Amino acid sequence: MQVFLQTLVGGLSLGAVYALVALGFALVYRTMGLVNFAHADVLMVGAYVASTFTMTEHLPFAAAAAAAIVVTALIGLVIERMLRPLEGKDFDLMLIGTIGFGIVLEALATLVWGATGRAVPSPVQTAPLHLLGASIPSYDLVVTAVALVAMVALSLFLERTRRGVAMQAVAMDYDAATAVGINVGRSNAIAFAIGAGLAALAGALVGPLLYVSPTMGGSIGIDGFAAAILGGFGSIPGAVVGGVVIGLISSFSAGHFHGYSDLVTFTVFAVLVMIRPTGLFGERTVVRA
Amino acid sequence: MIKHRTPAPTQALAYTVEDLCVRYGGVQAVRSVSLSVAPGEAVGIIGANGAGKTSTLRALMGLVPRAAGSIRLGERDLGKVAARDMVRHGIGYVPEGRHVFPGLPVEKNLLLGAYSRGWRTAGDGALGEVYEQFPVLHQMRSRPAGALSGGQQQMLAIGRALMARPTLVLLDEPSMGLSPKLVDEILDILLRLRASKLSLLLVEQNAELAFGATGRCLVMENGEVVMQGATAELRADPRVRRSYLGL
Amino acid sequence: MTSDLQPLQRRAAVLRRPDLRRLGRPAGYLVLAVLAWLLPYGLGGYDMHVLDTALVFAILAIGQGLVMGIAGQINLAQVAFMGVGAYTTAILTTQEHMAFWPAAVLAVAAAALMGLLIGLPALRVQSHYLGIVTLGLSLAFLNWVTNAPLAGSGSGLSGIPVPPLGGVDLTNDYLYYYVELLAFVAALAFGLFVVRTRLGRRMRAMRDDSLAAGSLGARIPVLRMTAFLLAGVYGGVAGVLYAGLIRFVAPETFSITEMFLLLAMVVIGGRQSLWGCVVGALALSAVQEELTDLSTYAQLGYGAVVVLMVVFAPTGLAGVPHRLRTALQRRAPGPESATVGPFRPYPPAEPRPDAGTLLQLDAITMRFKGLVALSEVSLQVRAGEIRGVVGPNGSGKTTLFNIISGLYRASAGTVALQGRQIGGMRPYRLAHLGLARTFQNLRLFRRLTVREHLLAALDRSPTRWAWRYVLWPVGVWRGERDLGRQADALLDRFGLAAFAGAIPYALPYGIQRRVELARAMAGSPQLLLLDEPAAGLNGTEKAQLVEIVKSIRDSGTTVVIIEHDMGLVMSLCEQVTVLAAGRVIAHGSPAQVAADPQVIEAYLGRAAADRAGQEQPVTTPSEEPS
Repeated sequence: MQVFLQTLVGGLSLGAVYALVALGFALVYRTMGLVNFAHADVLMVGAYVASTFTMTEHLPFAAAAAAAIVVTALIGLVIERMLRPLEGKDFDLMLIGTIGFGIVLEALATLVWGATGRAVPSPVQTAPLHLLGASIPSYDLVVTAVALVAMVALSLFLERTRRGVAMQAVAMDYDAATAVGINVGRSNAIAFAIGAGLAALAGALVGPLLYVSPTMGGSIGIDGFAAAILGGFGSIPGAVVGGVVIGLISSFSAGHFHGYSDLVTFTVFAVLVMIRPTGLFGERTVVRA
Repeated sequence: MIKHRTPAPTQALAYTVEDLCVRYGGVQAVRSVSLSVAPGEAVGIIGANGAGKTSTLRALMGLVPRAAGSIRLGERDLGKVAARDMVRHGIGYVPEGRHVFPGLPVEKNLLLGAYSRGWRTAGDGALGEVYEQFPVLHQMRSRPAGALSGGQQQMLAIGRALMARPTLVLLDEPSMGLSPKLVDEILDILLRLRASKLSLLLVEQNAELAFGATGRCLVMENGEVVMQGATAELRADPRVRRSYLGL
Repeated sequence: MTSDLQPLQRRAAVLRRPDLRRLGRPAGYLVLAVLAWLLPYGLGGYDMHVLDTALVFAILAIGQGLVMGIAGQINLAQVAFMGVGAYTTAILTTQEHMAFWPAAVLAVAAAALMGLLIGLPALRVQSHYLGIVTLGLSLAFLNWVTNAPLAGSGSGLSGIPVPPLGGVDLTNDYLYYYVELLAFVAALAFGLFVVRTRLGRRMRAMRDDSLAAGSLGARIPVLRMTAFLLAGVYGGVAGVLYAGLIRFVAPETFSITEMFLLLAMVVIGGRQSLWGCVVGALALSAVQEELTDLSTYAQLGYGAVVVLMVVFAPTGLAGVPHRLRTALQRRAPGPESATVGPFRPYPPAEPRPDAGTLLQLDAITMRFKGLVALSEVSLQVRAGEIRGVVGPNGSGKTTLFNIISGLYRASAGTVALQGRQIGGMRPYRLAHLGLARTFQNLRLFRRLTVREHLLAALDRSPTRWAWRYVLWPVGVWRGERDLGRQADALLDRFGLAAFAGAIPYALPYGIQRRVELARAMAGSPQLLLLDEPAAGLNGTEKAQLVEIVKSIRDSGTTVVIIEHDMGLVMSLCEQVTVLAAGRVIAHGSPAQVAADPQVIEAYLGRAAADRAGQEQPVTTPSEEPS
């Protein structure tokens, strides 16, 4: 029971991080119809920037995370600007283009921070919470709370604000959005920047949980992506539930299968996608002839 | 949100287009089209598919690049105005095939129509008017626009354009894909718009609808205006009768 | 109109000119072969080793080109396939002490199996989903090889024996090169053979529009699995050659970074051209080697080049000659003009007086999430009839077609073709049973020429015949010549000969419609479903359409046509079925239907009804004086 509870909480906080990654994927997908394969590398850059500010500049964690969000939002703007000519034309090419950006970011990170990686100390020093015999690291709770706040803020933004609704409109129809006076390019750029910022937040949060290295994006990215797909691509509550599900699967499979947890997680994910390709929350799309 | 805000004209102005040309690659889709819409006038452009009607309208909106030509609204030159700013000059656009925002509720679709005027606050008065004109949209206000029938979507697209309180509305084939019964309803709507002193530029394949809704029409073929005149004259013209009315 | 057409006509004309490059081609191959043969004489020992490694990647890249560029499957597991090949060889030779070549055969088989397994998700998902699932599964493979004691627990497996080959010493990189060269030439030749014949054509059609390819008779799941199988085999061969060359395998060689490097090779070279993939692989291997001390900079460089390529040169290096040519042609004057030719009517079939019911629908109901699109629709179409289906938008006409052609499965009710139940059959099976259709919004293949459209449609062989490529390639080649002859005849009949080499999307809309009609008729169907064939056509084109459809019917094909143009329906159809809100509300001759008060109320509207009352009969485009 103790172990179960501990794994559960670990899985939930990891799931919260995956949910943030998935939200970034979902946001960019919903507004631009683009899956950003560089997302995971943006996360890695965010983790590096945040940890650099906390470790060498001794900035408070929140300030470091904010700095990371700003830096990656700028990266997001650059990616969007470069790929803009392809928007709405060739989906696969854009996908490959973002993979190219991922390669570039990884190389840049290696050049700036070296290939070895670093361990980041937890910013929260309070003693772990004890609940039903399980000891729960307080940082896990912080991660979950921050992620929750970010998700609520994002959905309020998308549903309630003029800019947010406009962003959704752009995703649905470029021309009509233009005709009502929306600056489509700017809207997409903002979506991309917010997506990148979410990845940076996830990176800043996950830094102290895992080990920060230029290649850390790989598996978090795929887990986050898996979460987005599982939740039905583009659905925000779906991304959250998907994140938690993937977090729990990887947490439990790490407990049971040790070294083979990736093997189990990714195989389970592949099987889930085959059983329900539109995810748990996705609309069943109808083929239109 | 502070934006450059050119004051939108509050009353209709003359809309003048001269020598408009559009090219796609090597193909010239629109050749030297000139037209004008007087304040409060309704002008139609008819022609078969591929005649360049839609290209003309899209070029007027700035949605496709213009190879040549000038556009003026009153004294103002609209030639350099970006598509997204046309609405700020009082030009509303109802795209071909309706193009509502399918996943958003009807009401948000309408409010987006007032996006250029600051969304909710500015849109509130207009929203009431649109609902009054299209009661069915009020009934459906929280349904996603994609769930509406074709005719309702067309009303939504027109209502959305009205939300910006335009002085001139460009309509691209509002009859498209609608049954004749619904086309009659669209005709009623267009006549009401005319009665409210809006200027209209209507592109239609359905000549019957264009003749019913406008006072003056241009006939396009292969990217050129081949004929124009009062609807009564055109309706009587044997060539038009044969080609466009199927008589 | 003629001046509008000029650039297209020019292009069409150029494509018809006897292709000089074709004569130069064998000579080019010969030069390349000699160069490849002589290459080692000019290289030092280390360069030789680099070249050997590059060739392994070239073979791998061909596999990636086939699955991604030709079949359109976003596969990010290609390096894992190579890993399976290499690791299987290593495990069987070092742990099981098997001899090299038997192990190699099993390794290729294992990689092929892995290709099928990792390709399984492609049956359900495509595009980015598929990309991420294959990437995840290759991570799963890496996870296994880094942990399993059988695979050396992450420190790799060394001591793979030298492949024995008579008395030839394959530890020598120079000699190993020739072994690799043979494998490479075989791999490339086979790949090109696939691409240029029916299997590859079907794959390209599937890549451009899987729905349309399916309704032409291609069995999409089998085709996708075949693509992954090919990718697996190419990966396996590359893996075996890698194991024999390096004689040591470790997880890092098959990492995601290497996968992205391979992707960069394929994209930079040009993913839709196997030659492009090869050039990309060789070039990037060379660059990678030059910058081996600066590998991070190399990574930065190729990442940046990939981004620039997708934005500015999406067809890669392979597309450069074509882009240059089109740029030059734009300036050159057109030598001759070409327009869509007249349609040559089909020879009429013997009239069959007692023709029975061809298509029978009984109480078809279709629900989408509570929304009832069709309710209890019944319909009989006699053989040899032209049947009109009309109704307001959203009345369920296209849904009905989608059910008949197998895209949807009806929620209830039965569909029978010639008395045979076809409800729920997949579109490819229906195509083989003699059903063809067109689509409301023209589903043509974006990167196939007009002639290739017809070739793809004429190909009626079952998709599983792909095995012939291995066991009886000569048969494939002969079949290809037959297809070519039939395609030329069809091009001629539909007046499309002048556009044989053109990409339909660059042609005027009316010609695109004609291409789609010719494509649908390629299989000489019993039943042809036309979904708004006149939409977007001008008066002359509509008149031609009426003539073509009548000839199609006279040749023995039954036609069901959805159309909004009432004049056209009146002039073509003997019987008209009217749908409204998912129900059949009337049925009969056009005149009967037009006078039916229910139809007038639901469909025609009052104004139109008044008009119809005054001015019958309705004039049709075919009677329009020209």
